Amino acid sequence: MMNCNQYSGAESRRDFLAKFSYGIGAMALGDLLSPRAEAAGLPGVPHFAPTAKRVIFLFQSGGPSHLDLLDYKPGLKEHFDKDLPDSVRQGQRITGMVTGQARLAIQPSRYRFSQCGASGRWMSELLPHTQKISDDICVIHSMNTEAINHDPAITFIQSGSQLPGRPSIGAWVDYGLGSQNENLPSFVVLNSVPSAGGGDQGLLARLWGSGFLPSKHQGVQLRGSGDPVLYLANPDGITPERRRALLDGLGALNRLQFEQAGDPEIETRIAQYEMAFRMQTSVPDLMDFKSETDATYELYGKAARQPGTFARNCLLARRLAERGVRFIQLYHRGWDHHDRLTKRIPVLAGDIDQASAALVTDLKQRGMLDDTLVVWGGEFGRTVYAQGSANHDNYGRDHHGRAFSIWMAGGGIKGGHTFGATDDFGFNVVENPVHIHDLQATILHCLGINHERLTYRFQGRQFRLTDVHGHVVKGLLA
Amino acid sequence: MLRILCFLLVPLTQRSFSADISFNRDIRPILSENCFYCHGQDPKHREAKLRLDLPEEAMRERDGVRAVLPGKPDESEMIVRLLSQDRDEVMPPPKANKHVTPEQIALLKRWIAEGAKYERHWAFIPPRRAALPEVTKAGWTRTELDRFILARLEHEGLTPAAEATPSAWLRRASFDLTGLAPGPAELDAFAADVAARGEVAYELAADRLLASPRFGERLAQDWLDAARYADTHGFNNDSGRSMWRWRDWVIDAFNSNLPYDQFLTEQFAGDLLPQPTVEQRIATGFGRNHVINSEGGIIEEEYRVEYVVDRMRTLGMSTLGLTLECCRCHDHKFDPITQRDYYQIFAFFNQVPELGEDGRVANASPLMDAPTREQQERFRQLDAATAVRTATLAKLLASDREKRGDAVVLATLKTHLAGSTASVPQGSRLLLGARATADGKTELVNLPDPKAKSLGAATVRASDDAVLGPVLSFDGTAGAVLSRDFGDLGKAWSLATWVRWSGGEAVLCSTMEMQMPASSGGYGRGIAVLLTAEGRVEVRHSMRWPAYAAQVFTSETVLPGRWQHIAVMCDGTRKASGIRVFIDGAECAKEVLHDGLTSVVTLSGKMRIGEEAAPEPHRLRGELAGFRLYPRVLEPALLRPWVETSLARVVTQGEGEKDRADWRRELLLRRTAVDYARLCEERDLLREERRLLASEVPTTMVMQELPAPRTTHLLKRGMYDAPGEVVQPGVPETLLGAWPKDAPRNRLGLARWLTQPEHPLTARVAVNRFWQQLYGVGIVKTSDDFGFQGEYPVHPELLDWLARGFIDSGWDVKALLRTLVLSATYRQDSTISPTLHERDPENRLLARGPRVRLPAEQIRDHALAVSGLLRQRLGGPSVFPTQPADLYKGIVVAAAYPGTTWTESTGDDLYRRSLYTFWKRTVPYPVLNVFDAPDREFCSVRRARTNTPLQALTMMNEPAMVEAGRQLGARMLMEGGTDDAARLAFGFRAATSRPPRPEELAVLRKMLERFRKDFTADDKGASALLKGTSQDAGQAAYAALGGLLLNLDETVTKN
Repeated sequence: MMNCNQYSGAESRRDFLAKFSYGIGAMALGDLLSPRAEAAGLPGVPHFAPTAKRVIFLFQSGGPSHLDLLDYKPGLKEHFDKDLPDSVRQGQRITGMVTGQARLAIQPSRYRFSQCGASGRWMSELLPHTQKISDDICVIHSMNTEAINHDPAITFIQSGSQLPGRPSIGAWVDYGLGSQNENLPSFVVLNSVPSAGGGDQGLLARLWGSGFLPSKHQGVQLRGSGDPVLYLANPDGITPERRRALLDGLGALNRLQFEQAGDPEIETRIAQYEMAFRMQTSVPDLMDFKSETDATYELYGKAARQPGTFARNCLLARRLAERGVRFIQLYHRGWDHHDRLTKRIPVLAGDIDQASAALVTDLKQRGMLDDTLVVWGGEFGRTVYAQGSANHDNYGRDHHGRAFSIWMAGGGIKGGHTFGATDDFGFNVVENPVHIHDLQATILHCLGINHERLTYRFQGRQFRLTDVHGHVVKGLLA
Repeated sequence: MLRILCFLLVPLTQRSFSADISFNRDIRPILSENCFYCHGQDPKHREAKLRLDLPEEAMRERDGVRAVLPGKPDESEMIVRLLSQDRDEVMPPPKANKHVTPEQIALLKRWIAEGAKYERHWAFIPPRRAALPEVTKAGWTRTELDRFILARLEHEGLTPAAEATPSAWLRRASFDLTGLAPGPAELDAFAADVAARGEVAYELAADRLLASPRFGERLAQDWLDAARYADTHGFNNDSGRSMWRWRDWVIDAFNSNLPYDQFLTEQFAGDLLPQPTVEQRIATGFGRNHVINSEGGIIEEEYRVEYVVDRMRTLGMSTLGLTLECCRCHDHKFDPITQRDYYQIFAFFNQVPELGEDGRVANASPLMDAPTREQQERFRQLDAATAVRTATLAKLLASDREKRGDAVVLATLKTHLAGSTASVPQGSRLLLGARATADGKTELVNLPDPKAKSLGAATVRASDDAVLGPVLSFDGTAGAVLSRDFGDLGKAWSLATWVRWSGGEAVLCSTMEMQMPASSGGYGRGIAVLLTAEGRVEVRHSMRWPAYAAQVFTSETVLPGRWQHIAVMCDGTRKASGIRVFIDGAECAKEVLHDGLTSVVTLSGKMRIGEEAAPEPHRLRGELAGFRLYPRVLEPALLRPWVETSLARVVTQGEGEKDRADWRRELLLRRTAVDYARLCEERDLLREERRLLASEVPTTMVMQELPAPRTTHLLKRGMYDAPGEVVQPGVPETLLGAWPKDAPRNRLGLARWLTQPEHPLTARVAVNRFWQQLYGVGIVKTSDDFGFQGEYPVHPELLDWLARGFIDSGWDVKALLRTLVLSATYRQDSTISPTLHERDPENRLLARGPRVRLPAEQIRDHALAVSGLLRQRLGGPSVFPTQPADLYKGIVVAAAYPGTTWTESTGDDLYRRSLYTFWKRTVPYPVLNVFDAPDREFCSVRRARTNTPLQALTMMNEPAMVEAGRQLGARMLMEGGTDDAARLAFGFRAATSRPPRPEELAVLRKMLERFRKDFTADDKGASALLKGTSQDAGQAAYAALGGLLLNLDETVTKN
């Protein structure tokens, strides 16, 4: 009853609805408050041929230090413990955490960078595996955001607004494109538990929330423990056969009621219960890793054998991608290295490096990287000056939104490419700035969506993910 | 032809009810949607200097053409541009992504042809009662409002549906007025009453439902969304807050039928009413329910401004039905509200003594003690009992005064003191003294230590008093710094000192460090004891000043120029209630200004005496004597005799201090007169009980005005750091009505303005929301937007009739709802025919009764109620029903702030009504969230009603739902009768409020048989489903069927 070529755009909504077996219910929809057919997107979306069918967003919460990971600034060594020049700071506001510091002392990275891949790009020793996929990824050094604190910054990158209330990017995609899989939600969220620490910031349901969009567009968390989807498992004593029998009885009664009351909502409800039943099979199947080979675990690392880790979630992300899940959002917490960065960043990098690289490699091997967009990055970067005092071996860095680095791969993005540049201090963008709204516009573009035309009317206004801003960054596109 | 086309393609509300074109109904929506963005009132965004929102501008000749030339559509440039094929000429421009349909262009042409009459926007004209419309089938109507509905139906060629059965009506009305379905007994009684008395039975039933305490709970639910009520602060830390007293207020307000204008006034400005009651002040929590950020390092002002912005948004959505927030950065693109208007209203809400960063562990300032009604009653009793004793004591004192003179008392007391032996509490860590050094200077020492090392040089005068101990004199120019740390006193500590104060704000001692930027993490960490200018004792216990601190003031004062004793005790907790202050040995009443200490600060010996470490420090003018610090809480009963004896020795020296004659007499009586002493003891016990009760009183956040008004600037681009012109508090009077005469220019005045009878929006917005509550959609569908971009009402005359009636009734909410539920419109059957569904899928015309899925809270409450699990208790703190144990894992902040762990309730609180469920904004309670309950980060007045597989999973498998199914099964067996048919019918009726039809019963019986057989062959399975209470196959089959019944579409539907 549902085909997998929704985003080809060939099929109009009406055609699709006509084929939908619960046609009475679905055909009669005319209002946003009524449920639409479970899988339909908006008519006319995608707006053009997409380069990516799905997105995997490897979100690094807390603000990873671009200066210690991706943005190589060899010249900083000479500036060790010198004051940040005013000509560089340019009056940029700084957080309340360092306004009390007598001085802002330059802190070079203590990590060794080496060149990798065909392009010979520089990358930190903290990311040995990412170095190996250098030719597959596009590193953007010119990301920037206005936000300087976690909550607004993470809300901004996930929803296009610093303040709560807007739909998350995954919800927008779900709203626009609908689902490719009738047995799984199309927007899935995976939170991983860092191997140490990581609780400095909360992850907020709004980050995968639907804002003012109908709540069915919100991300569904697949959890590392307990029911992978909340309330998926039948209660004790109810076997799958009994559940089936109960659903048959329920369906029969609901249909009798539909004959009396005539409300199409009833038919939709029957269909939703059937999808719930299918999820009771499809989700355990998804979560059953038995078919994964030792070679795969070798690729992703030992941690991938343990539910709840970032590595496991990367592997799970691939499995979701295989099943046509449209937007797969991972979160890994713990990058907020105000102090003891040198102690903590190796742990975090260790958590994510191999698995992130493995995901790209795995997708590539399976021929899926071409139509899967992978994004790796956090809500902002970190300051070139030390929080506290400069120190060769043990330092910390404050939040820095004015310039930071992320990488993207697959799904229409130029591999091996480097985009944008910062000044010698990694403080200001000096070339090809990419604002958060530009990143969002570009992600949507890869999915075949014109970010200016994916809108939702709320309170008398047509809202969009990118507000009234954002430009597709053509320079990133293959 | 045109009419027919329009009829088919234009939404119902824009369909011509009459043949005439109405600017408001037909034209403005087209212009607003497609033209005003660039040709509206916002000058910054205006293209070609053309305005189409004003007739004189639209019709003005420009370059030889007019955008609108009345009577001549084909010569009107607007039409020419709309029809142009030239990409550079056509309007709206292609890149605007807007499309005007041929039908809309035809309407615009016709409007111009007929003279291009503009009208004022309907929602800005005060509502007027229209004459009741003529109808042919008047016999159908039961209330006047039915005439409006029927007239429209007759015009559309539709007929109303048949009347719903009494049971169906009772179910519908019970859900709408109490949030719960009627039980079988209620259904039976009502059916019998209807049979016996007819219409009267309906009226009585409505009255009964309106009088139920459940009414307030049901009505509160929607207002809690609008008021963005939650139990956590939101943002990154999302720690807990205590606002349930405000929620109780809302429930009480609806239950007591507080007139709606009062309801708004008390919430906007209860604190500004003359002599506000505790409850009226609690009501102002409405203005404080917004999210509050406690993320370290944020810029204070940025968030303080956001809170004011949030109040504006809430005012707009909940009360005015306007998208006010659009004007934060620029003039409104559509509605005639300017950015200046916005900041004028903003000024009213900009006067709160609040912080940008606050609330990490508790309520944010300003807050108040908010005793429950029971506690208030107990306070009244205690105060009355205390007053009786105080009066008697005063009488005894007066009669004693008549019996003997002051001199006699003085002499007697002296004699008495000779035998008195009370001694100073032992175990102090520090007794501050001073001694002369070899070079003639003074150094501070800790006297109990015989080999006392210097604690630092000081420029204070030192002396010794035989009674009070070592004396240090401060002249207000310098204090003493204890340069040597004599050790940490730990979390619990006490300070006891004699003070002779010379007036003025004074620091007695302080460990707070404030010589750094206020945004630094360690700013103001420490403890301080101060005197206010009025002589009140202030204690600060601070992790970071002032957000993360406890700050209390005594109600009692010390007087200048005489020796008094001050003792401060801190019990080692974070709470302000853990700080106690004693003046002259008697415990003081306290006022808490802030109670947000994040963690306990130990009292360290690095202390300044008589001054503080601040850029512009306050100091002490006066003397301290016998300054002692203890690493523990002192026993008040031991402290007091010593203080009083010592003080008595001082004030009886020589002729005795004149103004302490009464104090001496009082002390003497207390120590020598048995009656007097007994009364004093009783009074002290009452005070102690009051103190203990006070420490249990919940706090709640409230609105308050700054002592001196804050200047409000227009903020350019809405940015907190881009202040523009100064604006005065005010409202858009030309648009929405004049400021009421004599109303103060503050929130109270604003409330008066909002609720004046001629206000065009307040009543319309309110009645529309009540209508929405009943029918699932308002007369204006955009219940949060009555502006140009909002929907034109489907029944405009009815909306006005209801609004006017509401105002004229004295804003009587219960009366309004009574009328609504008794109407013929409401009483229609909700069956949907395919043709009607095609005509009117959303049931806007109301040719049938409402049929909508229940809101989240009711779905859960109904399941708990029919299974007998629901525990009814009105009001109180939020509860923690079962949720998955690891729901917060890997998501919430790791710090142990309140509200970051879910400690499951026990007993009755597991099954309370859902509106009492702890509402954590960033991780909402899943059972409610999945059914579209909002996270309440912002005001919302419309919930989506989705239909998803996750809802199905929740209904089937969520533990409380499963338990409810099990219990419903047990009820069927116990209460349902003696055979399966009766039992199944009982359960079906409990869930749906009607008996099953034969074919439904047949399905149920078949299912029951199937499961009975199934479980007979599977003891283990039966036992598992019954949680080990039994392995009876019949019970297990009923448990399974109970679950099935709760999952029926009809069970979760108001029909």
